[in-house]
Amino acid sequence: MEETKKKGWRWGVNRWFVLLFIVLGYFAARAYPPIQPHVQLPAERLSHTPLFTLPVIGEFYLTNTLVALLLVDLIVILIALAVRRGASRGTLVLSGMAAAVEALLEAIYNITETTAGKRARQIFPWFATITLMVLVANWMELIPGVDSIGWLEHSEHGYAVKELFGNVATIVKSEAEHGEGGFVVVPFVRVVSTDLNFTVALALLSVFFTQIIGIKALGGHYFSKFWNTKTLFSKPIFGVIDFAVGLLEIISEISKILSFSFRLFGNIFAGSVLLFVIGSLVPVFAQSAFLLLEFFVGLIQAIVFGMLTMTFMAQAAQGHGEHHEEAHA
Amino acid sequence: MELEAARILGKLIGAGLAMIGAIGAGAGIGIVTSGAVQAMGRNPDASGNIQTNMILGIAFAEAVAIYCLVVALLILFVF
Repeated sequence: MEETKKKGWRWGVNRWFVLLFIVLGYFAARAYPPIQPHVQLPAERLSHTPLFTLPVIGEFYLTNTLVALLLVDLIVILIALAVRRGASRGTLVLSGMAAAVEALLEAIYNITETTAGKRARQIFPWFATITLMVLVANWMELIPGVDSIGWLEHSEHGYAVKELFGNVATIVKSEAEHGEGGFVVVPFVRVVSTDLNFTVALALLSVFFTQIIGIKALGGHYFSKFWNTKTLFSKPIFGVIDFAVGLLEIISEISKILSFSFRLFGNIFAGSVLLFVIGSLVPVFAQSAFLLLEFFVGLIQAIVFGMLTMTFMAQAAQGHGEHHEEAHA
Repeated sequence: MELEAARILGKLIGAGLAMIGAIGAGAGIGIVTSGAVQAMGRNPDASGNIQTNMILGIAFAEAVAIYCLVVALLILFVF
């Protein structure tokens, strides 16, 4: 039997912390009434001069979603190092971060194996990578300070500024300044899934490598899914229908990119706008419930993105003939 | 200023109209979940497999609502 250390659940302490934070939140909201932040769809630029310029595509600015993406990479690397340390400890039962990641990956591998069968080893890395990365990216919106700490920038529809201490200032609600311009916050870090560039890039990667896996599994035969001339002459009417269905497959591949990118972007962007609005309407305690909702939405969207990628890859890898074989076996 | 007011009015009404599309997705998700829960009740052993497919179905149905949401957000915050 393994010895388990039981830490007593400190009820007597934790509930007073919760109460303290609620009361603190109440007074903070009275002192500085929350403002609904300026919502902007494209990512805000942190640098006013472009980082570098590419000949055809254009100029690249340092945006706050790029900062978030680098943070996500850093967190994923740290998780990997923590898991490596936990796994190399030599104990049979992992603990801590390693155990959590093991549970997640085991669940993902089981889903992959039931869907993809013998190709699970080839497809599983895509599923796991996308899920882990999108999960970290989505959960970043739950951290206080993301989306709310940043530079003040002059804007037409801004608010007045009040000095707190030193170089730190906050925007306060004031109707008098409203007409003639004020300041808005340009956050340092904005959740990377609220940038369409990130989600489109992930969707393009996913769909592109779906084709690669299909070609690897079926060879040149894979393209007959799109350009189906096998039955065009032998069976005149149904051949034409098969050919048209093949052309529709091309449209379906393109619509996958749209659907992937808009699903993740729409969910997470709407979630962050929801958090802004709730936080400005009911500043005390109400946001906690919505943070829990966003916790689940972030998890589900990460798993759905990975799972759809996995399903499409499994479908692409099994051709029509092979599918029937498996069905009979 | 009249023109600006009319523009804002049009934006708000347009965003509201765009979200009508969420009706279908809501009904769809309800149907998917009801079917899946019934199937799980009849065959609890298969619930893992059913749950996976249910989440996939929900994701597809939800995508339509998300398109509406993206259009509404574009209307509100971009144009």
